[in-house]
Amino acid sequence: MNRAWKRWVPAGVVVAVIASAAIAVPLTASAAVDLPTKTPQQVLALVARSHVGSLSGTIEQTSNLGLPQLPTTGTGSDSAASSALGLLSSSYTARVYLDGPTKARAQVMDKLAERDVIRNGSDVWLYSSRDNTAIHSTLPARTNKRPGATTGEVKTPGELATKLLAAVDSTTTVSVGNDTRVAGRTAYDLVLTPRATGTLVGSVSIAVDSETGLPLSVQLAARGQKDPAFSVAFSSLTLAAPSADVFSFTPPVGAKVKEQAMPSHQGAMKPLRPETDAVKPSMIGSGWDAVLSMPAGAETAKLTSSPLFGKLTTTVAGGHLFHTALVNVLVTNDGRVFAGSVPVERLQAVASAP
Amino acid sequence: MPSSQLLRSRPAVGWALLASELSVLFRRRRTWAMLLALAAVPILIALAVRLSSATPPPGRGPAFLDQITQNGLFVGAVGLIVCVPLFLPLTVGVVAGDTIAGEASAGTLRYLLVAPAGRVRLLLVKFAAAVVFCVAATLAVAVAGAAIGIALFPVGPVTLLSGDTISVGESLLRSLLVAAYISVSLIGLSAIGLFISTLTDVPVGAMASTIVLAVVSQVLDSLPQLDWLHPWLFSHYWLGFGDLLRQPISWDSFGNNAILQAAYVLVFAALAYGRFSSKDILS
Repeated sequence: MNRAWKRWVPAGVVVAVIASAAIAVPLTASAAVDLPTKTPQQVLALVARSHVGSLSGTIEQTSNLGLPQLPTTGTGSDSAASSALGLLSSSYTARVYLDGPTKARAQVMDKLAERDVIRNGSDVWLYSSRDNTAIHSTLPARTNKRPGATTGEVKTPGELATKLLAAVDSTTTVSVGNDTRVAGRTAYDLVLTPRATGTLVGSVSIAVDSETGLPLSVQLAARGQKDPAFSVAFSSLTLAAPSADVFSFTPPVGAKVKEQAMPSHQGAMKPLRPETDAVKPSMIGSGWDAVLSMPAGAETAKLTSSPLFGKLTTTVAGGHLFHTALVNVLVTNDGRVFAGSVPVERLQAVASAP
Repeated sequence: MPSSQLLRSRPAVGWALLASELSVLFRRRRTWAMLLALAAVPILIALAVRLSSATPPPGRGPAFLDQITQNGLFVGAVGLIVCVPLFLPLTVGVVAGDTIAGEASAGTLRYLLVAPAGRVRLLLVKFAAAVVFCVAATLAVAVAGAAIGIALFPVGPVTLLSGDTISVGESLLRSLLVAAYISVSLIGLSAIGLFISTLTDVPVGAMASTIVLAVVSQVLDSLPQLDWLHPWLFSHYWLGFGDLLRQPISWDSFGNNAILQAAYVLVFAALAYGRFSSKDILS
């Protein structure tokens, strides 16, 4: 009996070793970091001075907005589910390559599929392997020298942090949290907390590389939700110029190639979503609890007639509500649209106000 | 000294045992039937696409299906994608489930253990043979796919998922990498099958449980509500070989998959050792 027990010892040891490795590896990755103390202003200055022009890295974006989750099955290329609501609200892994202000490439790595954005000088290519299409557009000459190459709808932590920090004003408290480690680099944790209490945003946390000032991750926490509602972070990062052939793209033989004119007023790469200026949305209030309001029109009618609309919204007093952890959208019965990072009661109050 | 002689002669015994095990495995009609059935999958796909008048629309069916008519080298990839969820685990489950239980039910296990081989070595040899079958099964699909694709369709430079194009030679190299990835993916399942096979004297039961586990693991992997469990499922990275078809190659999933499969091998080999070395061999 005693001998029979000993035969099972290796199994127990192996399980114990694997379990302790599974616990210890994430712990060492996030081991306590002790950087020289900096005030929030010093960290903001560090970000402002940052001029990382060349990098290659992997970005992981997760969103936990409380939208319905569907099982993923099958052996097909899987880009459709995540792109239904736009890249910004989906979870994905992307590789990003930047070299100077005019060369950029982002590869969104889907299951057995990939979506690419490649910018080389004034040429911009969008390639989707799922339907094997390539869309080419040429940037207007004057935007060629715009600083800070963008990777289209794939937002790097740096781009998002720049936008968020630009909006920092007296409605926001800025503080420095515990030093962290992101993608193996030590970082200051810049925490933006809304002063207003009537907003769904709990706090914004930006990890700033202690060496270069490059934002390494951005996390948005929603009030009343434990997991971050939205997070984009580098999982690996190399601060060296990627090889030049990463940015050279010729559409593959057999691909459908479309030529698309770039809107001249727009430096960013959003040729897939032409902006209509038929209806002008307006802002009510300012700061974190501002509400975006859109009058009834063709755009909103198109929205409400979509078959998805009924499934994604719930009926509330005065209209239909599309609810996520960070944003509420109220479509009133007469077709007006109100959106904001605020509770539904505020949207209803704004909608019923004369 | 007799003991050192014994030590020196041990590896020879191991290799001889492995060679005899492999020759038994690959002389069985069942093994060849399974390999031929696997090879038939890409051949059927290629014939279906060749004989139908309409080209498959992009984005429907298994990935790469629409590329076949332009480039025959994609037949192997489509065949592998179709085989990974069910057919490959099915054949691997049959071979791995049969390892110990098959000998026990045929009454040959005690004769194998009478030879100076030892139970540990027998387990290792049985496992090694199952791993060899994983490689053979994957290669059967990949090679048959490449052959029928070259025979029926034009062959040219291959478009990767990233939209970059690589030469025919490099694409064959990538196909081998994909085959290696899938072979590695199946090793964990082989170890599970080996362990289950030590639990019973009924080979069919061990085969069926192994295959059922492969299906259950994939079902659990498709439920987003269980996402904390997903990195621990042995089937989690099975379709991750798409990362080898990007430019530049992303090795992350290859590495993660290898670590995961190695962990499964260690756990279930240790469990199989615990069970098999303390088991009373009655048949």
